[in-house]
Amino acid sequence: MNRKEAIELITRKIGNELIISANGYISRDLFSINDKTTNFYMIGSMGLASSIGLGIAIKNPKKRIYVFDGDGNILMNLGSLTTIGTLKPKNLIHLVFDNGSHESTGGQPTCSNSISIAKIAKAANLKVFQAENESQFEKILVKIKKLLGPIMIVVKIKNSKEASGRVSLKPLDIKKRFTSK
Amino acid sequence: MKEKIQRQMFDYLQNLGVKNLVGVPDSTMKYFIDQGLKKNKILIATREEEAIGIAVGMSLSKCHSLVFMQNAGLANSISTITSLVQLYQIPLIFLVGWRGYLQNDAPEHRKIGEIQSSILKLIGLKSKIVKDDNWKLCCKWALKQISNGSSCCLVIQRLF
Repeated sequence: MNRKEAIELITRKIGNELIISANGYISRDLFSINDKTTNFYMIGSMGLASSIGLGIAIKNPKKRIYVFDGDGNILMNLGSLTTIGTLKPKNLIHLVFDNGSHESTGGQPTCSNSISIAKIAKAANLKVFQAENESQFEKILVKIKKLLGPIMIVVKIKNSKEASGRVSLKPLDIKKRFTSK
Repeated sequence: MKEKIQRQMFDYLQNLGVKNLVGVPDSTMKYFIDQGLKKNKILIATREEEAIGIAVGMSLSKCHSLVFMQNAGLANSISTITSLVQLYQIPLIFLVGWRGYLQNDAPEHRKIGEIQSSILKLIGLKSKIVKDDNWKLCCKWALKQISNGSSCCLVIQRLF
């Protein structure tokens, strides 16, 4: 499964829930696959998707918040996992699309090839799942439907040459339509 | 700032509706932070950019939010301020301690203390120096800024 296939799969399953998506190809893919006003696309500020998601989760306990993150992204803000694991928001679901590389800057390797992000998240008291393929990913998404968070799903993905175009919305418009929800 | 005033300032901001305070501790404002911890109304993050991210999430949920930090943290946060807070026009109050304001502060604070005001001007973050005799006005000013959708910064000098 590549990133686009993984994002297609999950957006089909979760409907109109709030999504905070990390900068780079993750936001680009989400925008091209399933643009919705409930998506908050990050353009810069790499590493902070899970923190923004945490802030929203704390303030909206009745909504489920999905964070679409990458391995390079979360590795820039590992402290976020300790804060999430301490505050234990029941409504936060943190997906890490893990291709072991910084794909949008040219495919340079990340440490997730040698250190398990899932193990780090487990140590931080998140409920952790790992999907190696589509059928595992689908099963996990069924499993977590009634499960209380904080949850992390590490989705192992392959690199793909296909890149979606940039998010063409203005940042201010991304914010305005998101906050009207 | 005096202990009593720092505590009053925390309560005053809460009463003005600034309910979410996230940050990284600074001795310059330790009583302000302690007041929040006592009332269980403050969140300590692992680093300043993380604190800003959390506060942005709260602000996107239409809750007035404040991020506190040392000026070393302000230096860490420049890209997050320009590419998240300012790019998306997220209204946040920054409360930043001014280490290195006095010449005899520890050596690691001197350089950042010298350039702090210039950094704030360069990135276009409006700021006021909050003191024992103007803190209420500064808090009201900051609230007005975020109510109008702009971010702003209150600076506390370290005078000891």
